[in-house]
Amino acid sequence: MLAASSAVWLAVMSCASSSPDDAGQEKPKVTFEDHVLPILKTRCLKCHAGAEPAGELLLTTRREILRGGKSGPAIRVAAAESSLFWEKLTSNEMPKGGPALSAEEKGVIRTWINEGAASTNESDDDANELNPEDGQQSSEHWAFRPPVRAAVPEVQHPDRVRNPIDAFVVATLEANSLSLSPDAGREVLLRRASFDLIGLPPTPTEVREFRAAQDELAYERMIDRLLASPHYGERWARHWLDLAGYADSAGVLSEDRPLPTAFRYRDYVIRAFNNDKPYDRFLQEQLAGDELTNYWTAYETLDRLPEDVVEAVTATGYLRCAPDSSRPDFSTIKNADSQYFYPTINDTLQIVASSTMGLTLQCARCHSHKFDPIPQVEYYRMQSIFMTAYRPKQWIPQMERMVLVATAAQKKAADEQNGKVDTELARLKKELSDLRIQAKQRLLDERLAAVPEAIRSDVQLALNKSADQRSEVEKYLAEKFLAVLQPDDKTLDTLLPETFADYRTAVDERNKAITAQEQQRISFDELRALYDLPGPVVVPLLRRGDALTPGPPVDPGVVSALAAPTAFEWTQPAAAAKTSGRRLAFARWLTQPDHPLTARVMVNRIWLHHFGEGLVSTPEDFGTLGSAPSHPQLLDWLAREFVESGWSVKHIHRLIMTSTTYRQRSTAEETQLTRAREVDPDNRLLWRQRLRRIDAEPLRDAMLSVSGLLDPSMYGNSIPVARRPDGDVTIADGQNDRRRSIYVQILRGNPLTMLHAYDQPVMETNCTRRNRSTVSTQALTLLNSDAAIQYAAALADRALREAPESPSEFAFLAALSREPNAAELSEVHDFIITQQARYFSGGDPDASARHKALADLCQMLMVSNEFVYVD
Amino acid sequence: MTKTRQPRSLLHENRREMISRMGSGFGGIALSALLGDFDRTAVATESVTQNVRARPPQLQPRARAVIQLFMHGGPSQVDLLDEKKELSRLSGQAPPAEVADDENRTTYLLGSPFRFSKHGESGLEFSEVLPSIARHADDIAVIRSMFTEHRNHEQAIWMANTGLIVSGRPNIGSWVAYGLGAESQNLPAYVSLPDPGGMPVDGARNWSSGWLPPVYQGTAIRSEGLPVLHLQPKAARTSEIDSGRMELLRKLNARHQEVRPGELELDARIASFELAARMQLSATDALDLNQETAATQQLYGLDNDKTRAYGKRCLMARRLVERGVRFVQIFMAGQPWDTHSNNVSGIRSCCAQTDLPIGGLLTDLKQRGLLDSTLIQWGGEFGRTPGAEQRDGNKTPGIEGRDHHPYGFSVWLAGGGIRGGQAYGATDDFGYRAITNRTQTADLHATILHQLGLDHERLTFNHNSRDERLTDVYKSHVIEPLVG
Repeated sequence: MLAASSAVWLAVMSCASSSPDDAGQEKPKVTFEDHVLPILKTRCLKCHAGAEPAGELLLTTRREILRGGKSGPAIRVAAAESSLFWEKLTSNEMPKGGPALSAEEKGVIRTWINEGAASTNESDDDANELNPEDGQQSSEHWAFRPPVRAAVPEVQHPDRVRNPIDAFVVATLEANSLSLSPDAGREVLLRRASFDLIGLPPTPTEVREFRAAQDELAYERMIDRLLASPHYGERWARHWLDLAGYADSAGVLSEDRPLPTAFRYRDYVIRAFNNDKPYDRFLQEQLAGDELTNYWTAYETLDRLPEDVVEAVTATGYLRCAPDSSRPDFSTIKNADSQYFYPTINDTLQIVASSTMGLTLQCARCHSHKFDPIPQVEYYRMQSIFMTAYRPKQWIPQMERMVLVATAAQKKAADEQNGKVDTELARLKKELSDLRIQAKQRLLDERLAAVPEAIRSDVQLALNKSADQRSEVEKYLAEKFLAVLQPDDKTLDTLLPETFADYRTAVDERNKAITAQEQQRISFDELRALYDLPGPVVVPLLRRGDALTPGPPVDPGVVSALAAPTAFEWTQPAAAAKTSGRRLAFARWLTQPDHPLTARVMVNRIWLHHFGEGLVSTPEDFGTLGSAPSHPQLLDWLAREFVESGWSVKHIHRLIMTSTTYRQRSTAEETQLTRAREVDPDNRLLWRQRLRRIDAEPLRDAMLSVSGLLDPSMYGNSIPVARRPDGDVTIADGQNDRRRSIYVQILRGNPLTMLHAYDQPVMETNCTRRNRSTVSTQALTLLNSDAAIQYAAALADRALREAPESPSEFAFLAALSREPNAAELSEVHDFIITQQARYFSGGDPDASARHKALADLCQMLMVSNEFVYVD
Repeated sequence: MTKTRQPRSLLHENRREMISRMGSGFGGIALSALLGDFDRTAVATESVTQNVRARPPQLQPRARAVIQLFMHGGPSQVDLLDEKKELSRLSGQAPPAEVADDENRTTYLLGSPFRFSKHGESGLEFSEVLPSIARHADDIAVIRSMFTEHRNHEQAIWMANTGLIVSGRPNIGSWVAYGLGAESQNLPAYVSLPDPGGMPVDGARNWSSGWLPPVYQGTAIRSEGLPVLHLQPKAARTSEIDSGRMELLRKLNARHQEVRPGELELDARIASFELAARMQLSATDALDLNQETAATQQLYGLDNDKTRAYGKRCLMARRLVERGVRFVQIFMAGQPWDTHSNNVSGIRSCCAQTDLPIGGLLTDLKQRGLLDSTLIQWGGEFGRTPGAEQRDGNKTPGIEGRDHHPYGFSVWLAGGGIRGGQAYGATDDFGYRAITNRTQTADLHATILHQLGLDHERLTFNHNSRDERLTDVYKSHVIEPLVG
């Protein structure tokens, strides 16, 4: 019985397949023409040949069999048991009306399929199967045409218009006899802007200062301050990492192997947002950073890799985010490409299409898209862009698919240097071993000399024999003297240096030399990057998306229905080229200024995180099944503005956040409510801001921040998590549990309980929009988990420390960014007194009772709806 | 082809239809409660899919709940439920080409050493290692013609419980919770009972709701220690202290809500805290096995070291189902049926832990009149090879193993309207390939949903613009002879 995971099973496969019983015997390969066709001729071709074959299935050639008939491909290559043809034969449904095939005949056909369905005279080239109309699609769908900057509309009440965004929104509201809500108060605006931009609440000082600021531009300055904060990148990188499907583990199998270098891509994204890297460049680097910065030239010609090359190659970590459990031993798995490698490729394409273009391209993997004008062949043309890198038939296991931060020259120098180090180390270790043997012998000699002469030779004799050959007397002697004369290795480790000073000196010398040598060793950082392999690659269309039913080969290309003014342009590079240029060609096509989707999709996402809903409420789907934009002209205006600002994300933030539309209250007057609810119950027209629950990471980060525990250090290795026996996944013991959540290790199989409870997505592919669930396990986590209790106690400490006279008021201010009003204050004081008395009567001394009561207040503040929802 | 977008609705049925049908299916009190709930939730888009309130089934249901006995690792069909005389006759010989292992991982044919015999009036055959289960032969339908699509554990587990060999989809328990809600508002709709000895292979993914809202994910309940994670703080609080805290929270939330009328999410969150408080009591009560008589405890094997761990979870499952939980999964630690070596002793060990408690569960459910409305599902992610596994040169007769086998294997169903006392479908003479009434996973899923009153084609959820269903695009059908 085995209680081991599949890792064991996979590991043994190589043993199983490497010890065939018939080793050395070459069996003749079963081919279609030599072995299968003769059977089919006599038994099947009466119906399955000619102009109108039964079931539209021809069994005359391998290609026809693979193409299949009405019910799909008749065989799956190398998988007889799931092949339709085999099913019909084993159930004796076929040959229809005739006797079943004999066991031998069935055996031949089964073997033929399982050995790869070989054919002697057929090429794989069946390109003529492609429908000539494929790739000629055009579409009138609004999102597939380039955005056009609309004229800013005139409005009846321009007093509320602070910038063009407001004009678009107010015009629509006026058309529906609605108006914007009043501006929210300063405390609310500060809290809203802080959570939106940096994912943290304002500090008490920031609240006081902003409230008191006389400056007319105080609000704008506040926005600029937040945009300049390094915490901004930590918050907005998280949004992007959702789209990229970032995780710190490989996924798929239970093994869920941790990926210790994945964090470099996460840090890249944080830096990119903080530096307001132009979004077009941001996409180009992630898709083709190596090709964009001529990595291979730098690698081969320079002394060291320039910073911008390293940065751009790191960015291609984006294309390594999809779950990938591959290991070197997978090469022994039958059909590993279909079972393990293609899923990674499929996920990658889904990530690319959904994150950059808001397309549900994956639908076209198995059949032409049912709703959007995307034929199946275009899915494989898109796939082809990445196949010079992925190559399912020459797959590189994920842990070996790495780029070192080094040039060829550095690697060569390092190899030389490390070779010397290895030689030197071997010499030193040999010396150490010799020294020890000598010292051991010396110890034995000296101690033997101390044994009474009368029995000395008997003892020696006894020790030289193996245990089972000793006489009774010798056994006795051995037992008595063995430990003294020949101590075990562990004892010798301390005994020898203590006994022989010269030995100690000699050993110390060698150990120092070893340490010195180790320091001479040169190593390089590893980047989890994507890069091409040289040489041609054949990318087949896969019938029904099945890698075991390959169809005609396709060339790289894009979705033709997208009316991008500049076509996808790619030419085959020279045979010796290190990289194909396919990804760069795609990146350039994708980031052309007039691309119909790229800018629209991104500004919509920025909008989503400022209003809780996108202008298009399906940010993951701009296709015909997605929702229509609530403000189409505003969306296009923003998209143009985005491109013309040099693809500046911060510019769009600033525009949105300085608008009146953004600054509205989320609460509404009763009279306004009645009217607006009737016309626009879902607030699609934006007659007020939306009340929004903060996401999992800002929630945990806010608790850390408010309690004063937050460690603001940035970047670096992810912080390991561990699953407790009770199922709680927390920061591992001894690890820093006070850093922002973006630095916490994301194991796909073991998400941090507190984050997972609040809908941090489990990265199976990627997350295009967060869920927002309300379940009682969230309540239990915030009420009873060690972490939540720790945060509460820390906030109580902080309140007593910073405001010993009025700790409750301070806790209120820290947690909710406002002071309590008189009624709340009296409620809070009553609570403290009563709760303190309860602890006191339970046996707590006075000070402890007070602290516990205050901690309870702090916890309830952080649990309250006001803490978790931002106005 | 219509290009209209389906609303992100619960099911292919609108609210009016649902409410109009409630009168027949539910009592008056439940009806008013549902109306109240639906009135509130209908205001907020999507929130109708974000709760586990009971909702009427789509079809006339035969079962109220499912207890799934998942057998991680892949139990051997030819040693347990599918006797193969030809395999025994040719044991030790090389297999003929039409059933030769297609990955060359097994060598000679390996007959089962276990004796099979007929049981009950139906005469359904069971292996000698399943004596307690066999006593319920007339209530059990064995499907001997299952097949699956992957040979590795995780993918096959996903197939068995989420319908496809890809990860990240909702488990069948989540679909059931989504389709029916919970009858009890104090307990989750979907509960999983992992082994106190360790997590099953694939861990918490076994009860993940995938892209269904997390409200439908299985709640893992432990049979030792604190049953639900964070149900209590580590340092206990007195009830006075606790109610003081909750009272403060109520006040804080009430003030906040006062000036934000109509924000349903705030209501929902307040309710979730109330439910959490109720769960602290109800979960404790539901799982208190001391309330059971000594005779009942014995029936489940709680008096025996070998059977206690599994028996406790079987008994907990009955108590949860009695209280309105819809879907309960019982797991074993790791994957004990993964008998790569020492197949015989591995099977004996698994049966020694589970056979008696499962027999006890069936007996208990029957005598309480619950078996009619509770569907028991037994099975693993695949079966095992009829051939001996060639592994580490381990070919000593009697301690051979069997490898993973996706092409033909057995599962069984009982109760919940399943017609017992029958074997459905068949494998070939060697137990290698399902050839008669071949049963894909989607057919089994369609059948289980059907018994609960759910139509697998209409139980859909819109994810990334696609109406997803448990049975995906498979041409699948309810297995009529089982439900007839």
